[in-house]
Amino acid sequence: MIELAKIALLGGGLAVDGTTVGQFMLSRPIVAGPLCGLLVGDPASGLIIGVLLEIYLLVSFPSGGAQFPEGATATVVAVAAATASEAAGALPIAVAVGLVWGHVGGVSITEMRKINGRFAPEPFQANAGASRVVSAHWGGIALDFVRGSVVTGVGVVVGRAVVSRAAAAWPLMNDESLGLLIVGAAVSAGILLHDLGGFRKRRLLFGIGLALGVLGGSLI
Amino acid sequence: MKASLPRRVIAATFARSFLIQGSWNYHSMLGTGFAYAMLPALRRLSNGDADVYDAAVRRHVDHFNAHPYLSNLALGAAVRLEADGADPETIKRFKTAVRGPLGGLGDSLVWATWLPMLSMMAMTLWWLGLPGWLAVGFFVIAYNLGHVGLRVWAFRIGLREGRGVAKALAQADLAKLAGRLASISALVLGVLGGAMLTGPRGLMGAGPAWAAVACIAFVIGDKVGHRAWRPAAIATIAAITLVLGWGVVR
Repeated sequence: MIELAKIALLGGGLAVDGTTVGQFMLSRPIVAGPLCGLLVGDPASGLIIGVLLEIYLLVSFPSGGAQFPEGATATVVAVAAATASEAAGALPIAVAVGLVWGHVGGVSITEMRKINGRFAPEPFQANAGASRVVSAHWGGIALDFVRGSVVTGVGVVVGRAVVSRAAAAWPLMNDESLGLLIVGAAVSAGILLHDLGGFRKRRLLFGIGLALGVLGGSLI
Repeated sequence: MKASLPRRVIAATFARSFLIQGSWNYHSMLGTGFAYAMLPALRRLSNGDADVYDAAVRRHVDHFNAHPYLSNLALGAAVRLEADGADPETIKRFKTAVRGPLGGLGDSLVWATWLPMLSMMAMTLWWLGLPGWLAVGFFVIAYNLGHVGLRVWAFRIGLREGRGVAKALAQADLAKLAGRLASISALVLGVLGGAMLTGPRGLMGAGPAWAAVACIAFVIGDKVGHRAWRPAAIATIAAITLVLGWGVVR
């Protein structure tokens, strides 16, 4: 129970970094994964899950009013869920739980923003002074922390229940499981190239990079 | 500036800019956060007159939106305009004029290039066998050097130039910088792809068939763009569920 509370608080803290406070990008899966891994005693799995979800969410940015999957809570939930079993299936099932939970987090952000809107002061309102601004603003930050903690806590309970029941039945080996997850992530990498101008425009630089990556990967 | 502001007031306003999105909402967007960040400067400039302070706060709770880092440019300039005693209509027009460009520039410079470029660099380092803490540490430090640097630069330019920030922004040519970062990002994406294929933790370990399917998935992402993201995520979850179902039946 104490561990669950700690994980939920970590999720709340990282969720706040996502948009409301600082945006130092500690909320990105590549950072949130190992941080949660350290908390649950498995930083290596935390990093692998973080990297996989980072690729999935490479093209998901907290810009403007768009609804986006929430990487921080998704990653914390996935890493904590993965520790529920030592079977090979824990990793892919936890990543799937994380992908689903990212959308749950995204929907909760949208709802929170609607609530924030009800408390936002208007210039013509009688009580639109400094104290109203301060309370509305800190109320929004507190609400985001509570939201992130609740989304994470519920996600961990659900995720651990799914992983502990299902992981043992997973039929693929570790390498094949990783292959399956990377195939899905490759679509996001392709979308990023599309956003950067597309293959036609960037083929020279992308090709040089690919050759360097293949060479580097082969030599190491 | 006609009215000088102490350094601690300037510092407090800058520090509050890190919380500017704290109460983001669909109504006034960054409006409340902008007003919150302005409070130390407005309090000081009102010289203890509650009515003046109240009127100044009301000027800034209205709708405002921009990229959170580059909103510091508008914040610095608004502090300068208030200190110069600019009329409320001028301040309102200024904020309305800058919010679009600051949003678009910030999105293309930070979210679309700086963030993914450094994230991919960190993942490449990890995929090529570097210790995870080094890769993650590199990402956090490098990203935030640019992040905090951009916030400081934008705030200082705003404070210095006031209404003239458009000229300073044009001279900085952030759009050109974003273009260059996009080119570097394409190169890094290639390196990451190569490392994912052949690196020690790479796809070849799973077999060439997985690598071939991943290449096809990559091409689909490039061709279709963002419309492919949700179907791909759903397909991944469905594939995991199917494989699991197969395992249970077997």
